[in-house]
Amino acid sequence: MKHLLCSGAVICAFGLSASQAVADLPFDIGYGDFNWDSYTAFADQYDLSGQIVTVTGPWTGADNDLVTQVLSYFEEATGATVNYSGSESFENDIVISARANSAPNVAVFPQPGLASDLAGQGLVAPLDDATADWLTENYAAGDSWVDLATFANESGEDQLFGFFYKVDLKSLVWYSPEQFDEAGYDIPQTMEELKELTDLIVEDGATPWCIGLDSGAAKGWPATDWVEDMMLRTQPPEVYDQWVSNEIPFDDPRVVAAIEEFGYFARNDDYVDGDASSIVTIDFRDSAGGLFTLPPKCYMHRQASFIPTFFPDGTEMGVDVDFFYFPSYAEQDLGNPVLGAGTMWSITNDSEGARALIEYLKTPIAHETWMALSGFLTPHKGVNTELYSNDTNRALGDVLLNATTFRFDGSDLMPGEIGSGAFWKAMIDYSSGSDAATVAGEVQQRWNSIQ
Amino acid sequence: MSPLLQGVLTILIGVGGCVGYFYASNLFLDKVLYPASGPNIGRNINRANRIRPWLFLMPAVLALGLYLVYPVVGSFYRSLFNRAGDEFIWFGNYTSMFGDAEFREAFVNNLLWVLVVPAMSTFLGLLVAQLTDRLSWGNIAKSLIFMPMAISFVGASLIWKMVYSNNPDIGLINAIIVFFGGEPVDIMLIPFWNNFFLMVILIWIQTGFAMVILSGALRGIPEETIEAAIIDGAGPVQIFFKIKVPQIVGTIMVVWTTITILVLKVFDIVYTMTSGNFGTQILPSYMMSYMFRDDGRATAVAFVIMLVVLPVMIWNIVQARKEMR
Amino acid sequence: MDNNAGTKSSLGWAVNISVVVLVLLWLIPTVGLLVSSFRDRDQISASGWWQAPFSVDLTFRGRASTSGMEQQNGLYVIEGNIFADAEVADRFPDGEGTVIAFGTRGAAPSQYTAGETVELRRGGTLTVNTDGSFRAENAEEFSGQGPRIYILAETPPDLTLNNYATVLTGKNELERKNAIEQGQTFRQLLFADEGLFINFVNTFTVTIPATIIPILIAAFAAYALAWMEFPGRGLLIAAVVGLLVVPLQLALVPLLNLHNQVGIGQSFVGIWLAHTGFGLPLAIYLLRNYMVGLPRDIIESAKVDGATDFQVFMKIVLPLSFPALASFAIFQFLWTWNDLLVAKVFLPSSAETKVMTVKIADDLLGSRGGDWDILATAAFVSIAVPLIVFFTMQRYLVRGLLAGSVK
Repeated sequence: MKHLLCSGAVICAFGLSASQAVADLPFDIGYGDFNWDSYTAFADQYDLSGQIVTVTGPWTGADNDLVTQVLSYFEEATGATVNYSGSESFENDIVISARANSAPNVAVFPQPGLASDLAGQGLVAPLDDATADWLTENYAAGDSWVDLATFANESGEDQLFGFFYKVDLKSLVWYSPEQFDEAGYDIPQTMEELKELTDLIVEDGATPWCIGLDSGAAKGWPATDWVEDMMLRTQPPEVYDQWVSNEIPFDDPRVVAAIEEFGYFARNDDYVDGDASSIVTIDFRDSAGGLFTLPPKCYMHRQASFIPTFFPDGTEMGVDVDFFYFPSYAEQDLGNPVLGAGTMWSITNDSEGARALIEYLKTPIAHETWMALSGFLTPHKGVNTELYSNDTNRALGDVLLNATTFRFDGSDLMPGEIGSGAFWKAMIDYSSGSDAATVAGEVQQRWNSIQ
Repeated sequence: MSPLLQGVLTILIGVGGCVGYFYASNLFLDKVLYPASGPNIGRNINRANRIRPWLFLMPAVLALGLYLVYPVVGSFYRSLFNRAGDEFIWFGNYTSMFGDAEFREAFVNNLLWVLVVPAMSTFLGLLVAQLTDRLSWGNIAKSLIFMPMAISFVGASLIWKMVYSNNPDIGLINAIIVFFGGEPVDIMLIPFWNNFFLMVILIWIQTGFAMVILSGALRGIPEETIEAAIIDGAGPVQIFFKIKVPQIVGTIMVVWTTITILVLKVFDIVYTMTSGNFGTQILPSYMMSYMFRDDGRATAVAFVIMLVVLPVMIWNIVQARKEMR
Repeated sequence: MDNNAGTKSSLGWAVNISVVVLVLLWLIPTVGLLVSSFRDRDQISASGWWQAPFSVDLTFRGRASTSGMEQQNGLYVIEGNIFADAEVADRFPDGEGTVIAFGTRGAAPSQYTAGETVELRRGGTLTVNTDGSFRAENAEEFSGQGPRIYILAETPPDLTLNNYATVLTGKNELERKNAIEQGQTFRQLLFADEGLFINFVNTFTVTIPATIIPILIAAFAAYALAWMEFPGRGLLIAAVVGLLVVPLQLALVPLLNLHNQVGIGQSFVGIWLAHTGFGLPLAIYLLRNYMVGLPRDIIESAKVDGATDFQVFMKIVLPLSFPALASFAIFQFLWTWNDLLVAKVFLPSSAETKVMTVKIADDLLGSRGGDWDILATAAFVSIAVPLIVFFTMQRYLVRGLLAGSVK
């Protein structure tokens, strides 16, 4: 009845959930090594009782539970109600709802490219300069985070449109320490050593790599990460930036060379589990499982820091599985580049609560609560890293700190049609046998058509 | 209030409102506006009969106009604008689209789909309907063949992903190949034929639809005509093709049309199985890859799809004309 | 005549056999999914579903744990049974099994036949017997946690309802266990916010009106288009056929905008209207085609007797069209039941209003692309109701079709 009688069911839905008890807080306020002072200070400053903040994002399933738990501290501090809903097709849903004027207060964008599109159409509210200053000061490599979230608005002026919160690392190779130990393999320190190890594993009669590029409608994206990593390992970061912004064409010989570097691993039947051509039909979530079969289907799996979510139940981090940094070439002298990605929180429907939520993300406690749960990395300099839920996450944090170069996932920065369309398709074509220069040329063509 | 009660109440209000409209409006027409009594009875009945069709049609026309015509007209207008929607470019989207190799591939594949899927589904549906007609366990067989209709496209894709899996421990087809000593193959990567493997999924789903409608039509055939044919010494095959099929040809065409139209709309199967890779792109999934990014191009694809259905439309109009005479 | 009877019975056989073959072909893919929904993820990837009822040979790993190390005659010895090892035990609940082969390295987990005595990698020897008992010996103390033992063992089939519990409550085994320890019952979990029950009710709230309303509207319109004379009839029929093919995606943004402007917003009313609009062309098309085939003389004689069109429709056409109405009702029901796109756009995305397909797509399939077990189960839960509806409606359908054979 409620739904029918209220004029907008959105409001009714809020009415319903407001009556529910506040979600359980995983950590008691005031206990442990958390920065509770920042929480109390924030709670004293804001009283949003009765207000509703709607948030949509790409996290579903287990991640949905995590973000809800973290946001429950914001609810507790302000009295507001946060309604988070995750969607598998977030990219489509947010565009539909933003255009139909029913956007949530805050949208969590996994790809800045998409946010940039919407910002250009005037569908995202800019953040204030104080936030930009705060990021510069308090985030490691703060300027780059500000740059990443700065886009042209409707009238072409550059403004800050998002706040990065939750970072993923991409330049990682996952392996089973036990299997490495039994076979007598050492962690490679350079790309040259990694290639030697790959050959050594083949000589031992085993398969070095598990690669899977299938991902439902997003087929091909895992390969774009490979290419971006290879780009950073064969070219200076400036070239990477030019590639991402299309100042050099997509079919530039340097880009084609990076694609072929990926092909060195992926297009060799001996190097990958199954046929080289079959990697396009293996789901990326399944491919990680190859590390854990007996005998192992493969010894190494290059994937971002979120992949442990997809490991078999009961896999123990640091015991059953561990990671090493996807190494760089010793001979190239490009330092230790790190590829990463992150989710950007933007205001798509301005309200007092939405602004307060962005302010809350500046407090250390907002970061520490998720760190202590799992699967969360942050560039926030003011947090207590002791709170990371396990050593592996702490080590991941170290990779982030030791990076001489940090670059954001290029495909996420490219326009949506390229970074989450043409580039994916090109990688599928290349992995199933097409020529690198040809597929790169096709991406450039599509890019030309949208400029 | 319990959600169950709430649901029941909303259902009652929604359906009740609808029934109420038809009843009340007809009552109003017959009793108040032009009552079929009094001095002008003849004129009143005539007037009422002129208005009544529109009374019957009004909700449908309103809903169709609002929910389909309005977006279609708006989209057609949109398809004449560029990507950003700020520049009028006439048929620029259409010409640039036909210059795109992927679009041409999608177009050709779609023609294949439109030819194969309705034909196979209707044929198999008719076959099952006829074979099960006199079978003691016919209804059970029909239910089992109808079952895929109850599965969502996403669920169906999942089922067939399992069947087609290149891992012989998951995929049945590869298990059979391996059992006979072959090498596992990636069914979705076989050039050209992978299109047909995708079509199998839709045929698998739609045969049940064809079967239900056609089996109804088959049972509607008067017994006398068949008995007459038997007395004339016709065999079962002859009866089927010479007596039964001609009598239900109208229903066959309706089924054919409905499935053709479905083929032109369903993007889910290709989208989840191959995302249009490996030479399997079709127009609806091509459109989805532009939807919400380049609305000019996406809407232009939609109108090409509507163009493909033109022959079917014309046939139906001609048919309707014939019936009217 | 004998000859004729012979062909008849052989024909009967041929019909029976070909129907059996067709039914099997149609059924097998779904059966695969059904069987998989009762197996856990490891089993699904280890052996095909067609092997589910049989024992399969699977590899496991355990450890000769140094906690059981003893000194015997100057040798360090670890003895035990591998089937009692925590890492192996959950598939062998009674602690018994048959070892076929064993190994000392993960790369070759079945290198040696059971009963052999082999060298360990870090010194010493290992014997594993068929019954799972093992003995590791070394002159020096075993280091660390003790040597790994890999075994290939005959594993009994293990079918479980676990996946269904996970899908229905939205919590995995561990979360369920915790919740039950905190005093919640399984029933409570099912009816809680994360459970599927509320979504189930929502789906009914969406589908029932979204099935009945378009049929009602379409039946009246179809009658008008089939049996009433008025100008513009041909044009309207053409328009209906043309609108059949409109891709839904075109309509989403403009309509949601419209709903927001008139104040319906994202709500049940909105989704009924949307489903009604999208389902109408097919409903009108199918029903009109059926009604046109009804016998002209019945309708005309009723009109001569002075019945109005409304009466003719209610008393004659509607009952005669029952089979067509019933079959379209089934199709529209299935379509709205399985719909994901319209529900996502026209219903608010809060937990209280999600329908089942959205819930399954977002909360279950989301982070579980590789989890065949959960995927298979979720697919089955969503099929169940349409199937029940079909099996119960089917009797009406067949009866209705027979009654309606008036052509």
